[in-house]
Formats: sequence, structure tokens, C-alpha cells
Amino acid sequence: MFEFVNTLLIGITAGSIYSLMAIAIVLVWRSTRVINFATGGLALASTFVGASILEKTGSFWIALPVAMLAGAAFSAFIEYFFLRPLLKRSGEKNQEIFLAIIATLGLLGIIKAILKFIYGDEIGSLPPPLSDKGFIVSGESIALSPLRLMILGIVLLLMIVLTFIFQRTNLGLSLRAASFAPEISRLSGIRVDLIRTAGWAIAGAAGATAGVLQTTNGSGSVSPDSFEFTLLFVFGFVAAVIGGIESLIGAVVGSLTLGVILAIILMYLGSSLVFFAAFVILILVLLLRPSGIIGVKGGRRA
Amino acid sequence: MHNHQITNKHRFIGFALIGLVVYILSNIVDEWTAYQGATVAVFVVAIASVILLTGYSGQISLGHGALLAIGAYAAALTQIYFSAPLWICFVAAVLVTAFFGAILGAAAARLSGPYLAGTTLALAVGLPSIANQFSILGGEQGISFDAGWPPLSLGETFTQYKWFLWIATLAALISMWWVQNILRSRYGRSWRALKSNEVAAELSGITIGRSKVLAFTVSAGIAGLAGALLATTLNNVSPSAFPLALSFAIATGAVLSGVNTLGGVMIGSVALVAIPEIATSFSDRWSGSENVAVLLPDFIVSALLILTVFLAPKGPIEKLRSRHSK
Repeated sequence: MFEFVNTLLIGITAGSIYSLMAIAIVLVWRSTRVINFATGGLALASTFVGASILEKTGSFWIALPVAMLAGAAFSAFIEYFFLRPLLKRSGEKNQEIFLAIIATLGLLGIIKAILKFIYGDEIGSLPPPLSDKGFIVSGESIALSPLRLMILGIVLLLMIVLTFIFQRTNLGLSLRAASFAPEISRLSGIRVDLIRTAGWAIAGAAGATAGVLQTTNGSGSVSPDSFEFTLLFVFGFVAAVIGGIESLIGAVVGSLTLGVILAIILMYLGSSLVFFAAFVILILVLLLRPSGIIGVKGGRRA
Repeated sequence: MHNHQITNKHRFIGFALIGLVVYILSNIVDEWTAYQGATVAVFVVAIASVILLTGYSGQISLGHGALLAIGAYAAALTQIYFSAPLWICFVAAVLVTAFFGAILGAAAARLSGPYLAGTTLALAVGLPSIANQFSILGGEQGISFDAGWPPLSLGETFTQYKWFLWIATLAALISMWWVQNILRSRYGRSWRALKSNEVAAELSGITIGRSKVLAFTVSAGIAGLAGALLATTLNNVSPSAFPLALSFAIATGAVLSGVNTLGGVMIGSVALVAIPEIATSFSDRWSGSENVAVLLPDFIVSALLILTVFLAPKGPIEKLRSRHSK
């Protein structure tokens, strides 16, 4: 029982980090109908920015916001200078989703090459700002540590901020309108292009946070070749698809589900099945509900 | 050139010419180049399987590396447990992978766009790692797959790598001949129809589900052959031979070749093999930095990929064709 609760706690922490990644992917998908395979690469670049700020200032609480700003800036830059011209050329057809994915894959390669050029074999270091020793409950240490509590707190805070933006502000309303019906939004005076860039920027900040938290929660350091970030992206994407790719709440639900189930499998069945389990979970969910847990059925048919 | 039709006879002559050129080259080039040539042939088969699925039937796959893995393991297990000759191993790889492809296709036929991309991506990450779970698959070290020494009748100086090149080229030529025929058949036409408009295709009597599953099955079978060929050149099958990067490389090659036309399949394959070579020799000559030598190939491939998507989204062949017809 004790072990099981610990496994759940580990799964929820991992899932909450995936959920930020999933949100980044969903926001980009909603604003431009593109799956951005460079999300992991952008998070990696922002995490490196965070690591160098941490090295200079020594404060995690300055490094995290700066990394988020950097992530937002990188992401908006890419949307404006790369994706917008690309979509103009390809005419925003649904058929071209494969080409757009491959283009962002190329972007990922370039980002990684630039990071390798700058950092080489160096690693960015982001040690945990709080103790990662678990709290002691009735003589035994549980998997909930001050660090994990901080991670859950940050994710929860960001969720509240995002919910507020989407439900209570004009920006949020425009974001929702622009993704729901771009033509009509344009007619009612929303500057759809600008709103899309804003969507990408928010996604970049969410991805950067996911990257920083994943690094502190994991090994505490990051390299330009990081396989961890590839996995972070893959699990974030899988979670987003489970949640229905259109829905932010779906992304969170999908991520927590994925995080908890993977933690249980890792605990009781061994590490070699974890990756395959992610595939099995995805297939099972999609067989039952082909458009995800909170998907719009039959919506947006081209 | 009035109404000049390219018939199957012309194509056969073209295939034979390619075979002849490879035969002549294989007698001239050194060991390493012969090995690279075999790798090109493997990529030709792998990329063709993606082009068939994505370019013709409109289903996205980012997970073809996993299908290659199934083919490679099927070939190796057939050799180990039935001590079958090489060509039987290849046939087994095709059939087993096609079978898995049919199951996967049945699930995939209900999915579209991002859902299918996510599913195939998860497959590419997940499938190779289960080799560690079953001892029959040999874990991280993998299991061996031996193409055997070239027959003595070919002479004593006939090298192992030249033998690989011959096997891979012959397999590639035969499978490409078959693929281009099927793409011109009733099935190929119905795949293109459902890619361009599903509703219209359904109204003209095409069973969407069955057609999509068939495309997935055929594509998987070809990918299985590519996997068995890859195992031949590596002498071994292990999870590390099928990383996510392989799936991405195949998709990249498909875009570089022009994903909507089979004709360009050589371009992407040669690019994937040649660019790292060129980049290495370039950085050896111009820069002493080891760091640059490591990152240059990836950088060039990525940049080329982005350029292709921007300048020739339909692929280099279509680009030339449209320029000609102007």
C-alpha cells in the first residue's frame, strides 16, 4: 500500500510535467494546425538559457521566469519567421500536415545543431533548488519531497493562470475564437495572425517550464543531445493525443493518466515495457474514442 | 515527343539499366563505397514504403523504423530456428511485417492527422525496446543475422560488402518494380482517390476502410523487407539499430525525394547516405574542430529538409516537371 501511494506520487509529478508539454503542443495545434516537433528542442534551448542564468545569479526563482520568457520569445520567433511563410506557401491545407511536421523536424535538427555548436560537450546544470529528500511519515520516507511539492505547485499555478487567461481575458477569447473559426474571427476584427503568434508564445513558455522542471526533477543537468527531452516531447504528444489534441483540460487529464499508469508499470513490470505501454495506452484509448478523451467528434472535417 | 507514352517496357529497360550501372560500379568501387551503396538500396526500399503510405494513400507514418525492426527480427528468427536460406528469410520478413501492418492498419484506418502521427510515433519509440523483455529476441545485444559468404563461383576476390550490395540492389529493384506496378493498378488509383477526397472516393465505390488497411499492409511488407536488408548489412539485429532517429530519417528521405512521387526515391536515399560523408570530408579539410564535424551532417540534412519543404514541397522531380511544362 505504502509502495503504491509512492508510485502514485511519482506518477502524478511526472504527469504534471508532461501536462505542460502537452499544453504547449495543444496550443500550437489549436492556433496553427501544426504539430510542432521542435517543441522539445525549444524547451531544451530555454532550459539552457535557464541554466546559464542560474549560474550567473544563483537563484532558481530568477532562472525559471527568464527561461519562460526565452521560451516564449523563441517560439514566437519561429512562428513569425518560419511557420507563417511556410503555411502561406502550402495554402493551409489539411493534407499538408505531414510536410509541416517534417519541416518542424528539420527545425529541431537545426536547433540541436546550434546548441551543440554553442555548448559542445558542456552540460547545462539545474540542481534542485529545494531538498529532494522525501518527507518522513510514520518513520518512513515517502516519495513526496519539498522539490516535488514545488513542482506540483508551479504546475498548478500555471494551470490557474492559463485558465484565467483563456476564460476571463480578451486575449483568451480571441485565442479561442481564432482557433475555432479563423475567417469569422478575422471578420469580427480579431487580428488572427497576431493572436497565433501569441498562442505560440504561451506554448513556448509552457514548454520551457516543462523543460526546466523535468531537468530539476531528473538528473539536474542537461546536454544538447538530451534523450530525456525527446522522451518528454513524445510523452507530452502522446498525452495530448489521448486528451483529444484540441482540449487543454484533455491534455492535463491525458498527461496525469499517462504519468500514473507509466509509473505503475515501471514499478511493477520493469523498465523495458514502459515505452511500449505508452503505445498500448494510446491505441486502447483511440480504439474506444478515435478523437481522444475530450475530442470533438466529427468536427473540422476538411 | 508527340503523345509519347512511357510504357512498362520502357520502365523495364530503365530498371535493367540501373541494375547494370550498379553491377559495373560494384566492380570498380572500394569496399566502403560498396557498403554505402548497399545502405542506399536499403533506404530506397524503406523510403518507398513511406511514399506509398503517405504520398499515395494519405496516411501519415512517423513510425516506419518500428516496422523495419519487425522485419529484421522476423528474418533473423527464421534463419536461427529454421536455418532457412536467405531469400526465405526475406519472404518471411515481408509476410510477418505485412501481418503486423494489417493489424496496425485496422487501428490506423479510424485515425486521422495528428492522432495517426502520435500513434505511429509512440510505436517507433515503444516497439524496439520490448526486445529487452523477451529473451528470444536477445535483449540489448540482439541476435545475429548472417547473409553468408558470397558463393565461391563468383571468384575468390569477391568481397563481403560487394555481396551485400548485390543482394540489396537486387531486392530493391524487384520490390520497386512491384511497387510501381501496384501504384499504377486499381489499388494505387483508389489510394490516390481517397487521399485527395475521401467522400468523393467513397461515392465512386471505394471501400475506404479496406483500402486504407490494404495500403498499410503493403507498406508494412515493403518496410519489413527494408528491415531484413538492413539486418543483412549490419550482420545483427538489436534494438539500438532502430532508434527514433531511423524513423525520422526515413520520413526525411521521403520528403527529400518528393513524397507524392515514387520516381524521386533515389534522391532522398542518396542524400541521406552521401551528406554525412561529404560533411565529414568537408570539416576534415576546413576545420579542425571535432565538434563541428559531429554536428555538420545533421545541420545540412535539416537545412536541406527545410529548403525542400519551402521551395519544392512536392519534391524535386515534380519541380523539374512543372518547370519543363511551362
